[in-house]
Amino acid sequence: MTRTLDVSGLVINRAGLPVVRGVSLSAQKGQISVLLGANGAGKTTLLEGLSGIIPTSGGDIALNGRSVIAARAGERARAGLSHVEQGRTVFRQLSTEENLLVGMAPGADLADAYDLFPELLNRRGVRAGLLSGGEQQMLVIARSLLTRPEVILIDEMSAGLAPVVVQRLMAAVRRLADAGLAILLVEQFAALALRIADHAYVMRRGELVYDGLPQPLLADPDRLHHLYLGDVQAA
Amino acid sequence: MNALLTSAVAGLTAAGAYALLGVCAVFTFRLVAVVNFTGAAIGTAGTFSMIGFISLGVPLWPAVVLGILVGTLAGALIGLVMTQWFSEATATTKAAVTAALLVGIVALGLRLTGGQSPKEFPTLFPGSAFRLAGVEVTVASVLTVVLALVFTLLADAFLNRTRTGLHLRALSERPMAAELLGVRVRILALLVWAVTGAFTTFALMIIAPQRSPDFMSLSLLVVPALAAALVGAFRSFPLALAGGLTIGIVEGMSSAIDGISQYRGILPFFVILAVLLWSQRGARWDEAR
Ligand SMILES: Nc1ncnc2c1ncn2[C@@H]1O[C@H](COP(=O)(O)OP(=O)(O)O)[C@@H](O)[C@H]1O
Ligand SMILES: [Mg+2]
Repeated sequence: MTRTLDVSGLVINRAGLPVVRGVSLSAQKGQISVLLGANGAGKTTLLEGLSGIIPTSGGDIALNGRSVIAARAGERARAGLSHVEQGRTVFRQLSTEENLLVGMAPGADLADAYDLFPELLNRRGVRAGLLSGGEQQMLVIARSLLTRPEVILIDEMSAGLAPVVVQRLMAAVRRLADAGLAILLVEQFAALALRIADHAYVMRRGELVYDGLPQPLLADPDRLHHLYLGDVQAA
Repeated sequence: MNALLTSAVAGLTAAGAYALLGVCAVFTFRLVAVVNFTGAAIGTAGTFSMIGFISLGVPLWPAVVLGILVGTLAGALIGLVMTQWFSEATATTKAAVTAALLVGIVALGLRLTGGQSPKEFPTLFPGSAFRLAGVEVTVASVLTVVLALVFTLLADAFLNRTRTGLHLRALSERPMAAELLGVRVRILALLVWAVTGAFTTFALMIIAPQRSPDFMSLSLLVVPALAAALVGAFRSFPLALAGGLTIGIVEGMSSAIDGISQYRGILPFFVILAVLLWSQRGARWDEAR
């Protein structure tokens, strides 16, 4: 069976150094795959390579069985691979609604965005630069949804947000997966993400050190801690 | 007094052209984040192409259309260079690149047009439109001012009312985020370059007969254009428009005053200096805050 997103042996260099070193992973329709790892492990670099922001130096990326490795970022986006970048990249000068309209695909409906995040509805005319961090995060996720993607890569959506807002976002992402999207969710803070995930990866220094179900990691925080940091104790 | 008014009115054509070129510079900067030194040179290339077509026997108006087409292509070509190789560069680097391109275009233009020897330019819009306080206002001057106004209004309406305009505003703020949403950023950037190429060419065609019509002088009209854009802080279309009109009119008036008329070409530099000093003051204030 072809998977919605299938990544094999991906290598990405940054400033001449290998930051992603032969990563293979996948994302499935209807599922959330969570990608965990310490700061600097290479998660953001991996996502940027997947969406085409930065070039890759080896391996392959397939969307529904077709390689997109030669496609530019824009083509990958139009093919259904959406990337919600780290740092809430709203168009600050545009209103909330204009932000949603920028990438709206034929057949998409603004109502879907407001349905997912009703909070945004009465902020529709407000310039996105004036929204709260939580609202901006909701906006970039909703904006991605309106491009009618098949896969959404989400980078560090909870960074700096209040726990109640994070819960809200996690529930919304779960809803997107249940509606049939494939989600690859990068998180530094593991517990909440593992709870909504169907599959888990842990990355350390550019390599995957865990590829399996989320439950074992949830049940054994020591093991997760060890995966994050590697053999520091043993060394 | 009447002499002053006469020369102010005489400055109107230049005023309209400066305004249009200034607004185009703002358009380019806002949408593709480039301070474009090649604007007037692109227009000049289109204008000289028109002359070339006329000398080949093409009638005036078809030659105008062909010239505008050449200006459009030249603009798109510069845009291609900028988007292909310098899309990740800083604003300073991009400005330096267009300055270098300006030197290249002028050198090539002078070579192709046979040095600096002036050419005969057809006057596209001869005659006077109306009299203002006893002074003849030419059709050409009315037209350039109207064209500048129209471009300002069109640019504004286009950016704020159309889907492509929304894409351009998104693109100008965060090119990568726009691309990740599927916006066709390269094509849009080329479109911006092509459209400004077309408008500047038309402006240059109208004003060329009133200038020392060699490739170099016409290309250097970019100086008052950037001065006008600077008045609008490279953001405001109406202020750039006002800036261009003011520079042109004051320049015209100063030609009537003995003793300073030889120096009127320096006016744009004074405007640039004044605005830069003013904005520096603002920056220092920002830092102090
Ligand atoms: N623009 C860059 N240039 C050079 N090195 C970078 C750049 N961005 C990140 N890196 C390096 O790549 C490694 C992985 O970073 P990143 O992908 O941001 O990790 P994560 O998202 O897992 O925290 C780090 O060692 C970081 O220093
Ligand atoms: Mg990161």
